[in-house]
Amino acid sequence: MAKIKENSFIYADPQKCLGCKNCGLACALAHAGCDLQTAVAGKRQLQPRNSVVKAGDMFMPIQCRQCEDAPCAQACPTGAIRQEDGLVKINEQNCVGCKVCSMVCPFGAIVVTPVPNAEPNRKTKRGKALKCDLCFSSVRKDGQLTCACVEACPTQAVMLVDPEGYRTKILEARAKELAKAHSVAKQKRA
Amino acid sequence: MNKDYKFVDQAIEELLPKVKEAGLDTVWDRFKSMQPQCGFGELGICCRICWKGPCRIDPFGNGSQRGICGADAHTIVARNLIRGIAAGAAAHSDHGRHIALTLLEVAEGHAPAYCIKDEKKLMSVAARLGLSTEGKNVRQVAKEVALATLEDFSRQNSSIPCSWARQTMTAERAEKLTALGVMPHNIDAVVAGIMNRTHVGCDADPVNLLLGGLKGALADYTGMYLSTELSDVIFGTPEPVITTANLGVLKEDAVNIAVHGHNPLLSEIICDVAGSMDEEARQAGAKEGINIVGVCCTGNEVMARRGIPLATNYLSQEMAVLTGAVDAMVVDVQCIMPSLGVLQECYHTQLITTMATNKIPGAVHVEFTEKTALEDARRVVELAIEAYKRRDKNKINIPQYKETAIVGFSAEAVFAALSKLNKEDPLKPLLDNIVNGNIQGVALFAGCSTTRVAQDHNFVTIARELARHNVLLLATGCGAGAFAKLGLMTQEATEAYAGDSLKAVLTAVGEAAGLNGPLPLVLHMGSCVDNTRAVTVATALANKLGVDLDKLPVVASAPEAMSEKAVAIGTWAVTLGIPTHLGIIPQVTGSSLVTEVLTDKLKDLVGGYFIVETDPLRAAGKLYEVIRERRKALGI
Ligand code: SF4
Ligand code: SF4
Ligand code: SF4
Ligand code: SF4
Repeated sequence: MAKIKENSFIYADPQKCLGCKNCGLACALAHAGCDLQTAVAGKRQLQPRNSVVKAGDMFMPIQCRQCEDAPCAQACPTGAIRQEDGLVKINEQNCVGCKVCSMVCPFGAIVVTPVPNAEPNRKTKRGKALKCDLCFSSVRKDGQLTCACVEACPTQAVMLVDPEGYRTKILEARAKELAKAHSVAKQKRA
Repeated sequence: MNKDYKFVDQAIEELLPKVKEAGLDTVWDRFKSMQPQCGFGELGICCRICWKGPCRIDPFGNGSQRGICGADAHTIVARNLIRGIAAGAAAHSDHGRHIALTLLEVAEGHAPAYCIKDEKKLMSVAARLGLSTEGKNVRQVAKEVALATLEDFSRQNSSIPCSWARQTMTAERAEKLTALGVMPHNIDAVVAGIMNRTHVGCDADPVNLLLGGLKGALADYTGMYLSTELSDVIFGTPEPVITTANLGVLKEDAVNIAVHGHNPLLSEIICDVAGSMDEEARQAGAKEGINIVGVCCTGNEVMARRGIPLATNYLSQEMAVLTGAVDAMVVDVQCIMPSLGVLQECYHTQLITTMATNKIPGAVHVEFTEKTALEDARRVVELAIEAYKRRDKNKINIPQYKETAIVGFSAEAVFAALSKLNKEDPLKPLLDNIVNGNIQGVALFAGCSTTRVAQDHNFVTIARELARHNVLLLATGCGAGAFAKLGLMTQEATEAYAGDSLKAVLTAVGEAAGLNGPLPLVLHMGSCVDNTRAVTVATALANKLGVDLDKLPVVASAPEAMSEKAVAIGTWAVTLGIPTHLGIIPQVTGSSLVTEVLTDKLKDLVGGYFIVETDPLRAAGKLYEVIRERRKALGI
């Protein structure tokens, strides 16, 4: 059986975040498929899928962690949320806007809001669940994902974390330290 | 270096890889590492006016729609914009004040390095200001002109407009602007007024703020106008002169001194003393003595008046140092990149600052005063000769590109050339050709160069396109620098790019003026402070036609604008009734209201308006369309 890979996710380093909200602008634009000037000139109401939050004197954008055992997916009564292509995806077609997912998400990462520019009417507000989708539709030429928030952050606080790679780096770093300590100890003994 | 970045200027293209080898940063590298730039700033919806802020408005309508004090996007954008205009007006008018004070010192005999080079101009300026010259000697007239000019900085009666504004535009325009309440009475008071009304908790009405901006822009106009005219009085009014432009004007075997900035007060004197110090340069080993070249608008000033070659324009100023052949870069005020101070760590070029209010870390400061101008200029040249001795031959890399440039088309020079065709009525040939359609209209290119577009590309593209449609082209500032560097101020360019009827007119005037061929395709009217020269021509045309400026088939374009001065210039051009193109998106689009006023509503108010178009070919199309519209309205 093929090994199941952990989902990558967006993480921002609160030590580096200045709270400028540019990641939010970029996120909203990435999902609108147009540039800033066009969006503003067309008075488009766009919704970022992250929120820049202040906690004490630290800032950081919060967004979906792409949980491996996602409460949102468990809870969704219409089955609109599922694991797919290495992330937790919401199928907007199936979403009825019941907000169960946004209530169970431990990170507050889901907003249920009218889809940008869909005309609400007396029957429906056209609300759908929106969250970070790792900009999955924008794949670079070299096959890598490009996440709008990562590219937008002026202090490079935002990163796309590949958990396996991240862990490997930590393991290697610690191993190096330990190996060095061992060899020092050995020399001392000798 | 950004690979996608294209250069029209081959000299830059050639030099850049060498810069990279040396591991140095240029303006384009810094631009790249600055990406992406802040979206809130681009839209103009970030406010830092008080320390409860910074506040920013969510342009997508979800988050904050008002700053902490309650200012909305429209108020914030309008306040930011007019503060920029105030800064532009302050820059130009302080320059003008400096010139006016120098004229006063000349009149009082306290500035031995200076004299009145153009008495005729002095007299015409006096007449324009309503001063009688009868029975007065030159010095007396100069003193009265200087004092009358300084009144435009000090008048407290707000019902009397600035003389330099009132006397230089059509009477109809002056009345209209007075009725709108936007005629300045005192340049300084208007600048201070903008700072006042934009303080936290003051003017919050975006339209009222923008009207304040128009007034600020007219204060800028006033400061520019007097600056140009009084500079002509002291240093002479430009006349056509043939020179060269681009980095190839640097000489390997000379002590190269680059004069850079905007104010001609010191650079003129450097040119005066350099001749007498040639021998010292030769003794130091420079076979060709001293070679003065210009950068940016100080460059344009000495180019237009003395035919001093121009090394490069604003954005590529670092390139001059990176040739390794500039021994001193002498700077005065405005548009001087602080990075020049850093480049000195790798190159021998001596950066010399000269103005008390413009110092740069890394530079040697030689404080300039009018009284000691001669000694100051000599000191600067000495420093250059000393630096020459420290040159590293291995670092010399002068791209061998330079173009001929016929420059120096002041309004007076244009009228003089036309008078060769009709002595009694010099304007008639120009007017006739406009009326019969040989010349479809006039376009003034102004403004800076910016990293937001490929340097010089917009200028060149729009100019060629409009020339093809028989539009007469004027240029100032770093736009003029672009055209000079790239060979559009030549007779060959006229042959190559002008439409047939424009070519015929330029040839007739050029031949009559003794140029043995056509006038150049683009007429160089001077530095950016000299944009008012174009207004002199336009106002003369309007008066002759008996219409106001907003009826003329005249347009302006700042296709690569970046500075606050450019914001002010563009705004007064519009206020005078001239449709003005911007080739970059101004930082106002976060307010639909401000955007609408600038690009549309102003048309009803003052006749001029902004045309924002980033594609140069489409921009040319739009400008030509405006010219056609105006011709139609005039019935020509
Ligand atoms: S939305 Fe919340 S619960 Fe669902 S995967 Fe993302 S972080 Fe987990
Ligand atoms: S809001 Fe949509 S995605 Fe979320 S639980 Fe309800 S139906 Fe599912
Ligand atoms: S762009 Fe970067 S610095 Fe700005 S709010 Fe987002 S994470 Fe923070
Ligand atoms: S002036 Fe108003 S909008 Fe500006 S920073 Fe202060 S509170 Fe914010």
